[in-house]
Amino acid sequence: MIAFENVTMRYAKGDPLALQEVDVEIGRGEFVFVVGASGSGKSTLMRLIILEHEATEGRVLVAGHDLSRLPARRIPALRRQIGIVFQDFRLLSGKTVYQNVAYVLQVLGKRRHTIKQLVPETLELVGLQDKAKRLPHELSGGEQQRVAIARAMVNKPPILLADEPTGNLDPTTSTEIVAILERINRTGTTVVMATHDTSIVNTFRKRVVQLRDGRIVRDQAGGEYEAIEVEGVAAR
Amino acid sequence: MKPGFLAGEVGNGLRRNTAMVISVVLVTMVSLFFLGMGLLAQRQVDTLQGYWYDKVQVSIFLCTEDTAEVASCAGGGVTEAQREQLASDLDGLRPLVQEYWYESNEEAYQRFREQFRNSPVLDNVPREAIPESYRVQLSDPTKYEVVASAFQGAPGVESVEDQREVVDKLFTFLNAVSLAAVALAGAMVICAVLLISTTIRLTAWSRRRETTIMRMVGASAFTIHLPFIVETLLATVVGAALSVGLLWAMVHYGIAGFLTELLAGQGGMIGLIGTSDLWLVAPFLVGGAVLLAIVTSWLALIRHVRV
Ligand SMILES: Nc1ncnc2c1ncn2[C@@H]1O[C@H](COP(=O)(O)OP(=O)(O)OP(=O)(O)O)[C@@H](O)[C@H]1O
Ligand SMILES: [Mg+2]
Repeated sequence: MIAFENVTMRYAKGDPLALQEVDVEIGRGEFVFVVGASGSGKSTLMRLIILEHEATEGRVLVAGHDLSRLPARRIPALRRQIGIVFQDFRLLSGKTVYQNVAYVLQVLGKRRHTIKQLVPETLELVGLQDKAKRLPHELSGGEQQRVAIARAMVNKPPILLADEPTGNLDPTTSTEIVAILERINRTGTTVVMATHDTSIVNTFRKRVVQLRDGRIVRDQAGGEYEAIEVEGVAAR
Repeated sequence: MKPGFLAGEVGNGLRRNTAMVISVVLVTMVSLFFLGMGLLAQRQVDTLQGYWYDKVQVSIFLCTEDTAEVASCAGGGVTEAQREQLASDLDGLRPLVQEYWYESNEEAYQRFREQFRNSPVLDNVPREAIPESYRVQLSDPTKYEVVASAFQGAPGVESVEDQREVVDKLFTFLNAVSLAAVALAGAMVICAVLLISTTIRLTAWSRRRETTIMRMVGASAFTIHLPFIVETLLATVVGAALSVGLLWAMVHYGIAGFLTELLAGQGGMIGLIGTSDLWLVAPFLVGGAVLLAIVTSWLALIRHVRV
């Protein structure tokens, strides 16, 4: 579904490399945690997938498209295949939960009755069907993030990217959020989640791709957050 | 994007930047007002100029039934013999007389109607009162006196007029007005362009979260830009409408009303522009506003709104 082939990324001439020779393939329906210290390149990886930036070298393939060859007018179509969730939610503060989710479909010019059907359905998916009329500031952080997930998923994209979606949340709420992502993943959506959260990674036991200084240093199915170090310590 | 949703987005944008939108409206209004003035002044020049101005320097008006008080017209209207005599006299003055045309009473009346289409004077002037004439082009326009002295008082001639003297000063004045108005309009249009692009930058800032979301969910560049363009279009078209309103008031009350009456009262016979001329100019003003809005906002969007 997503493939990086020897990808190197440099934001500007003279900057250090944000990604170096990254080779990774993420199949349809996978759930992947991307872990690594701050500045290791997790967000950069995400940005290349949605073509917010273009890779300096190498190829990025998403849903069968070579992004380095994708003409600018096809970028919107690519992004419609990808839902994205951020640490800071990015909701529209003047709009209700329902309106925030409906906004995506309105922007894409969907029919009224499609919107009336999809929005409640998606709010139910994230367990917010009873809070549709609330404004973002009347919600907890966890609930706001669930709105953001609903918004990312309402157009049913096959890929969901989440960049530290639990970064602003307490452990219990974080677990709830990742449980929702897991539920979404079970319906066939490919989920890539960047995170710092050790306990989340250790609890959910998914594939772990670890970055350090822009390089992939580990790619492990069912891994833990600090697998290499922990195993190293255990072996001694 | 559905029209209802677009309207909502545009409404939000206008509400958030009311002050800027009002300034765009006003600047557009003022710049198009000056542009309109320039165009109307040109229409006034055209109206006065008539079709013969560039070719004809001297008009020799012939007697009508109504001009018996003039000594040379004592015999009533000009006769066929007098007309022929005058023509041969004109031929005798070649090469100073380069060319001349006869304008019949009917032709003169038609031209009069055209020139005074906006003037109430028209209704009171009978066809017979409009004199037939010879229109004369000189090889050297400064030698007007030669022709004047030759024909003034000749049988069948009511009067001889130096056409240029009548209109030249007015043309100079009107051309200056036109030029000044267009220059001011140019300066104001630059203001409008800068203001529109600043407004779009500010609107883009206040709508940055919306545009980010639009971009992330795969809205096309056109969809993202459309609310901005529609907002700018609305502001400039309202500005254009206001400027047309101002020009209408100026023409209707100022020129067609006040000035015409003033000139008519003094026996002046000058064809003035009227509101019909404004309706010819107005589409250009509105079209200009639309073009300004689209081009400027498009350029500003390329700079300030990433897609
Ligand atoms: N827009 C940008 N322009 C220039 N350099 C950038 C930009 N974004 C990130 N970088 C640099 O690229 C490197 C990788 O950054 P990135 O944001 O991908 O890290 P991250 O793993 O997401 O970190 P964090 O956990 O703090 O979010 C860093 O050195 C960062 O300074
Ligand atoms: Mg990051």
